[in-house]
Amino acid sequence: MAETEERLRRTMMFVPGNNPAMLKDAGIYGADSIMFDLEDAVSLQEKDAARDLVYEALKTVEYGTAEKVVRVNGVDTPFYKDDVRAMVKAGIDVIRLPKTETAAMIQELVKDVAAAEQEFGRPEGSTHVMAAIESAKGVVNVNAIAAASDRMIGVALSAEDYTTDMKTHRYPDGRELEYARNVILHAARAAGIAAFDTVFTNLDDEEGLIRETKFIHQLGFDGKSVINPRQIPVINAVYAPTKAEIQTAQQVIAAIAEAHEKGSGVISLNGQMVDRPVALRAQRVMRLAQASHLVDEEGNYVEE
Amino acid sequence: MADIRDLHLRVPSIQKDWRAFLASHGLSGFPDNEVAAVDSVIGLYDGGRLVGTGATAGNILKFIAVDEGDTPGAYFNQVVSELQNRLMAAGHTHMMVFTKPQYEASFHYVGFTTLAKTAVGVLLEAGMPTITQYLRGLPDAAAAAGQHLAAIVMNANPFTRGHRYLVEKAAAENDAVDVFVVSTDRSLFTSAERLQLVQTGLADLQNVRVFPGGDYMVSYATFPAYFLHAGDDVIRYQTTIDARLFRDWVAPTLHITKRYVGEEPRSHTTAIYNTVLAAELPPAVQLVVVPRLTAAGTVVTATQVRQAIADQDLASVRAFLPPTTWSFIQSHEAALLQRIEKGQTIRGN
Amino acid sequence: MAIKKTALAGTLESSDIQITLAPAASGGIQIDLDSAVASQYGDQIKKVITAALQGLGITDALVKAVDKGALDCVIKARTIAAGQRALEQTEPAWEVL
Repeated sequence: MAETEERLRRTMMFVPGNNPAMLKDAGIYGADSIMFDLEDAVSLQEKDAARDLVYEALKTVEYGTAEKVVRVNGVDTPFYKDDVRAMVKAGIDVIRLPKTETAAMIQELVKDVAAAEQEFGRPEGSTHVMAAIESAKGVVNVNAIAAASDRMIGVALSAEDYTTDMKTHRYPDGRELEYARNVILHAARAAGIAAFDTVFTNLDDEEGLIRETKFIHQLGFDGKSVINPRQIPVINAVYAPTKAEIQTAQQVIAAIAEAHEKGSGVISLNGQMVDRPVALRAQRVMRLAQASHLVDEEGNYVEE
Repeated sequence: MADIRDLHLRVPSIQKDWRAFLASHGLSGFPDNEVAAVDSVIGLYDGGRLVGTGATAGNILKFIAVDEGDTPGAYFNQVVSELQNRLMAAGHTHMMVFTKPQYEASFHYVGFTTLAKTAVGVLLEAGMPTITQYLRGLPDAAAAAGQHLAAIVMNANPFTRGHRYLVEKAAAENDAVDVFVVSTDRSLFTSAERLQLVQTGLADLQNVRVFPGGDYMVSYATFPAYFLHAGDDVIRYQTTIDARLFRDWVAPTLHITKRYVGEEPRSHTTAIYNTVLAAELPPAVQLVVVPRLTAAGTVVTATQVRQAIADQDLASVRAFLPPTTWSFIQSHEAALLQRIEKGQTIRGN
Repeated sequence: MAIKKTALAGTLESSDIQITLAPAASGGIQIDLDSAVASQYGDQIKKVITAALQGLGITDALVKAVDKGALDCVIKARTIAAGQRALEQTEPAWEVL
């Protein structure tokens, strides 16, 4: 696991790497992560130009607190090495490897990332990686992939290629993704990293997006990939905690503070011990509450 | 965001959808041979719906049509960008488009320059070299001040004594003559062969310079009807474009004041061309129509030379040909015959 | 360094700039700029293009730039891409990026 402090990753917005208008504005929609795409969204003859463009954008455009991710071209392409080097040089937060099928592919990427950090004088270990799972083989190997490196911050399901590999396609109810979602989520949780669900491609079906987001939220995913900024508030609304959840979290945090003040080693609330998972969940709920603007700066619940 | 996809017109249902889209934008009735000549066709899709299309043929952008869309011009700019990127990647660094006058401004907005226009159509270019760069790049082409410079445009398929007669007359009546040889490669003699035969056939004339006509003078881009059969309206329109391009760009840049053409008793297309030149060029450029040279009691034409090659009866046209062309044909007779057998037309030009 | 061939990068879409480069034997970097904001930002745009080309070692070139409201970082990226294509270089220009 790459980070001790868990960050919110409700939305990862895809931005085509060769599109200046979208690169320019990607930071204004409030996505938790922005994924600059050098792979599928860029045609073969434009790979060089897109790499130059994303590089310059990363160097100069303000993306606020969003986590900056780039999807490089696959390890078997002639663009992969230069993509990795250029993005490390630009100071990207996370490199997303497409079509990951084995832990060895991640280890190879980590080796290339480390070499690039050294080549361009970047702090060692500052560049994280994540894996996109897009095939049956990737799903089968995802436990090892998720645990392949301490630079790993997450795994993502990419359903378009995956369903093709499975000789099916996507259906509105998502049952064809049941196994992959659960396996990927377990691998992520076991390795202590994030799990990203796939994109919802029908932009006109907001109800479908809400239904699918509620479902993956229920399973335990950190969030979803997003292909249009319009989807961001919809997903964030699903991830917003309820007033009761916020109050419970505030009680937990208050109990911890009180125990600290009293110098008590045992923290309890409602007769139950407050252990580490309970404390972490309370912190996460409060981060979600803040991101959803449900609490003010002092942490007071904001009534609608 | 709308995305670009290839359209393979050999898939019947794709071609049907594509034609229907063009028809909905007022583009229809183009001949199959024009469709077959395209190199690449793209479709612009937004939300899975076809919202724009465009194609390339050689260095020409064709069949461009786009829906209005939410942002005015966005679809158009995306289609034109993609076509330009494709042409450039294929080595076509200079590009042209024929379009209706109402789209001229849209092309200006994306950096195209108008070369010539009529009430029914506009010819524009983009990329490099531009027409100015092409004309300025011709070695020593610009005449010194006060000189009388004449120009002749010829396909020379192949170069005959008739061509030579026309050039000699212009050379005698002017300080210098620029001869432009058609560059489009659609004739029995290749453009390289034609250029070389003109150069060697005129090498002894000191005040004559020979240049390739590039994309600008009777090219497949400006005047396709010269190479493909077309109706009179189309010929008149295309020759008007060709004439105005010569009048407004070539002549002023190179200080050309006269254009010489041979009288045209046979070819219908060329006869219309001469009529249009006479209407369009003056007063900026004076048109001089020279009666055809006769040899052995008949008018010298390149058409008869090509016919004689097909008939394997070279001796009948020997009197039409300067020694340079005669010896070339003799030594390449088999290759020329083979081209004719493979379907190269000897009619037209 | 001399440009080997005519090359283009960028698009005509909003916020982008289309850069075409052609070989020139001499005369320095000659820029023909087509932009709605040429009167206010023309000099700045030309400065960015010139600097990027000089960074690649290109001293003589004919440049056609069709600007659709590009930020400086976009102008730089497109010029580098066009320049490297014109020089037939495939390794990214690490010194200039």
